[in-house]
Amino acid sequence: MKKKLFAVVMASMMAVSALAACTDKNGTDTTAGTAAAPDTTNAEGEAVYSQEAILDMKMFAAMAGTEINSGNKIQELIAEKTGVRLKETWLTGQQAGEAIGAIIASGELPDLIDGGDGSVTLWENDLLVAWDPYLDMYPNLKEMYTDEEWDKFRMEDGHIYWANVFGNHYKGIDTSTGHNGEAFWIQVRVLEDAGYPTVETLDQYFELLDNYVEKYKTMPDGETPLIAYTALTDGWKYFCLENPPMFLDGYPNDGCCIVNVDDPANPVVVDYNTTDTAKMYFKKMNEEYAKGALDPDFATQSYDDYISMLSTGRVLGLCDQYWDFAYSLMGPFAQNLDSLDGGRLDALGCDYVPLGLTIEAGMDNQWHSYGDELNQSSGVAVTTSCPDPNLAFKFLSDVLEQDVHDLRFWGIEGEDYLVGDDGLYYRTEEMRQLWKDDDYKANHICSYSYCPQWLGISRDGKNAMMPSEQTSEFYAGLAEPLANCFKAYGAATYADMIGSLECDQYPWYPLWSWSNNLSNDTDGGIAWQKMGEVKHEWLPKIVMSNNFESDWNSYLAAYAECKPEDFLAEAQAEVDARLQTARDNGYEG
Amino acid sequence: MSLSSTSSRRKKKTSNGVEFTAKEFKRQWILIVIAALYVIYGVVFNYLPLAGWIMAFQNYKYKTGVFGSKFVGLDKFKFLFSDAKFLQVIRNTFCMGALILIFSTITAIAFAILLNEIKNIMGKKLVQTISYLPHFLSWIVVCGIVSDTLSSTGIINELLTKFGILDKPFLFLGSKPAFWPIVVFTNLWKETGWNAIIYLAAITSIDPALYESASIDGAGRFQKMWYVTLPSIRPTIMILLLMNIGNVLNAGFELQYILGNGLVQSVSRTIDIYVLDWAINGRNMDFSLGTAAGIFKTAVSLVLIVGGNMLAKKTGDERLF
Repeated sequence: MKKKLFAVVMASMMAVSALAACTDKNGTDTTAGTAAAPDTTNAEGEAVYSQEAILDMKMFAAMAGTEINSGNKIQELIAEKTGVRLKETWLTGQQAGEAIGAIIASGELPDLIDGGDGSVTLWENDLLVAWDPYLDMYPNLKEMYTDEEWDKFRMEDGHIYWANVFGNHYKGIDTSTGHNGEAFWIQVRVLEDAGYPTVETLDQYFELLDNYVEKYKTMPDGETPLIAYTALTDGWKYFCLENPPMFLDGYPNDGCCIVNVDDPANPVVVDYNTTDTAKMYFKKMNEEYAKGALDPDFATQSYDDYISMLSTGRVLGLCDQYWDFAYSLMGPFAQNLDSLDGGRLDALGCDYVPLGLTIEAGMDNQWHSYGDELNQSSGVAVTTSCPDPNLAFKFLSDVLEQDVHDLRFWGIEGEDYLVGDDGLYYRTEEMRQLWKDDDYKANHICSYSYCPQWLGISRDGKNAMMPSEQTSEFYAGLAEPLANCFKAYGAATYADMIGSLECDQYPWYPLWSWSNNLSNDTDGGIAWQKMGEVKHEWLPKIVMSNNFESDWNSYLAAYAECKPEDFLAEAQAEVDARLQTARDNGYEG
Repeated sequence: MSLSSTSSRRKKKTSNGVEFTAKEFKRQWILIVIAALYVIYGVVFNYLPLAGWIMAFQNYKYKTGVFGSKFVGLDKFKFLFSDAKFLQVIRNTFCMGALILIFSTITAIAFAILLNEIKNIMGKKLVQTISYLPHFLSWIVVCGIVSDTLSSTGIINELLTKFGILDKPFLFLGSKPAFWPIVVFTNLWKETGWNAIIYLAAITSIDPALYESASIDGAGRFQKMWYVTLPSIRPTIMILLLMNIGNVLNAGFELQYILGNGLVQSVSRTIDIYVLDWAINGRNMDFSLGTAAGIFKTAVSLVLIVGGNMLAKKTGDERLF
């Protein structure tokens, strides 16, 4: 029997690593432990690192992503400026936790890591380097958050081990044009065809989708059938089907429950899975499935299936978070297709816009949350395998320098963007197309997207840190049908399309930064895991059910067996604790 | 050459009793060196790692290692057997493993016999080559093919709806009763050709005189298959069956992991997936529990093999030891 048992393989791995505890492989091909100084100067007289002085480092991000090619042009430029060339690797089909577990078990850690929801595990195993001493050395890093915000990153031992890099506006000036969160999305051609109606409820939304499919049936090629709606249920991303009841009731994305603030002094945690709204939402889904509006394979599709389905432009509507699908569609939607006689999907109006639906018309919604969300549960970290942590932190600081930041997100001046007489950066149509091209992304663009970065206005006071937030670029970058749609609704940004309530965030928000790190050590954690499994199995089943009422009741019974009350009690305790901390710091409410 | 002849010859030698003397050692030293390499391989890669089993009796933490972790006795095993999910994955693994074993053995034998009956050499070679090629595909590719074929717009549903057997596409991969058959069928498709090779080899070594005399006695084609071919390869069948019984709990990992989804998770998860979930998944990282599950798997496999072997001994069939 050649097949060795899984556990034996694992045991052997452990035995070997225990015997050879001194091995320290981390893929950094350097023998020198300290950073070399820049040794030459470029044409402008700036110090640059020579090829020999550049160190290679590795970073793993527990997220799906695409590796860039070696010799990437901007990567090389950044390496010359910072002395570090960072090789980024991503998840390849597995879940974040599994990948992090496998990395820990193998003992081969990268120099930098974003562990996603495996971050705490890395910390528990003493595999991360504390940021504290380096924060004072590198003002660029320190500047990312206020002292109070940094405190939220502190682990139980009082130290900071990672920093979230997203959603952070420089000097707090909000220039956001996008909506990175969740929404019911709809293709602009559907809205256009219906004369840009007001859409406030699920019923109106599905009526629009169904009517459009009824009218056109297929894509312009006359063969590919249109699909009104799909829902992703692969792995933890089944939230696309699972959590809309929370938003439909007008609550923000606390992720694991609703926090009712009818009495602001005493917030109450409410389970959104069992509300009347939840039942109404799933009943609607069930009816639409019976009508054939949902993709019949939605419950068995993998994330890759989902993206490739969306890339064809045939799906009119979906509920998801922007970052989870939109970036993958930019390339395919900007391509000239033979099936469209050389036309493009974005020109056809396949771009998605978000809608702020609620269960009844006229309610306030909070699909979009204004202001920066602080997610302290994960972020970029330096591992103990990194031979020179100081250099790693220096690199993280260097990539926040304005010139490097511009290289990462704007590109090379003259090649990827031009500077107008007014000092504003802009791109030509050709440059914009190139930035959507997958080959160009691999060979030219290097954004180090999981390293520290800024949103908002850059240090010159004029240009946006990111092109997508530069007002002129944002509008120029919109395909015509999308621009028309914005115009028709009088929306300046994606967030305007949703029309969320502009309110201050509560101190416990977002609560998912707590639930993401629940482990099996507590009753609430066990309940949380069981609830996830029951929902994962039952929710698609309910949508596809021929007998909604009885299946809904069976689901509720199975759900109740998981003891959700244990989980809710712990969630309530966390809300109270966070509120208390905020009050101690002077929060009034 | 069939396995039966080698093993019977070996038996004869040991019963003759070759004495282990210096002279004998000198005569056979090359053979002994070659054999020793395999023994070392087995010890290093199959026996030394068993030391890691100690983790199953500890509350192993990566931070403290084998030597610093606390011993907890049988706590991990207690947790396993009180976890309803573990009992569920045992059922899934055992049922899928047993189904795969039974069906793959039967189809491989049948396929080998049928292939043997083809008189056209070119045709025979062609069929054999094509049939074992899927063995070299990775499970990822095979699963891609399966999920495309079984999707609502896949060829199976197209045919079923076209011929009016179904009025709307059936979601095969979302159906619990369909999951095990899909797993078994996929295994058969991928491995039948490969598994048949060894039976074909056994059939080739059957003495042609047996067939001749059967013909003279008036046996037809099917009678020759039944009375000559099958009994002649019986020892091979028994040995392979015994060896594969130990693999019943290795019902698979990739196939179930890739084809599984929320709807069918209660029938799709195997012990290996459970171990992955508990031991490797960053949120739990409980190597101890994973090791305990592994030990359980080994113990059951051992019982199955020994039991199968004893049964074979009783019925007077060929056996492993």
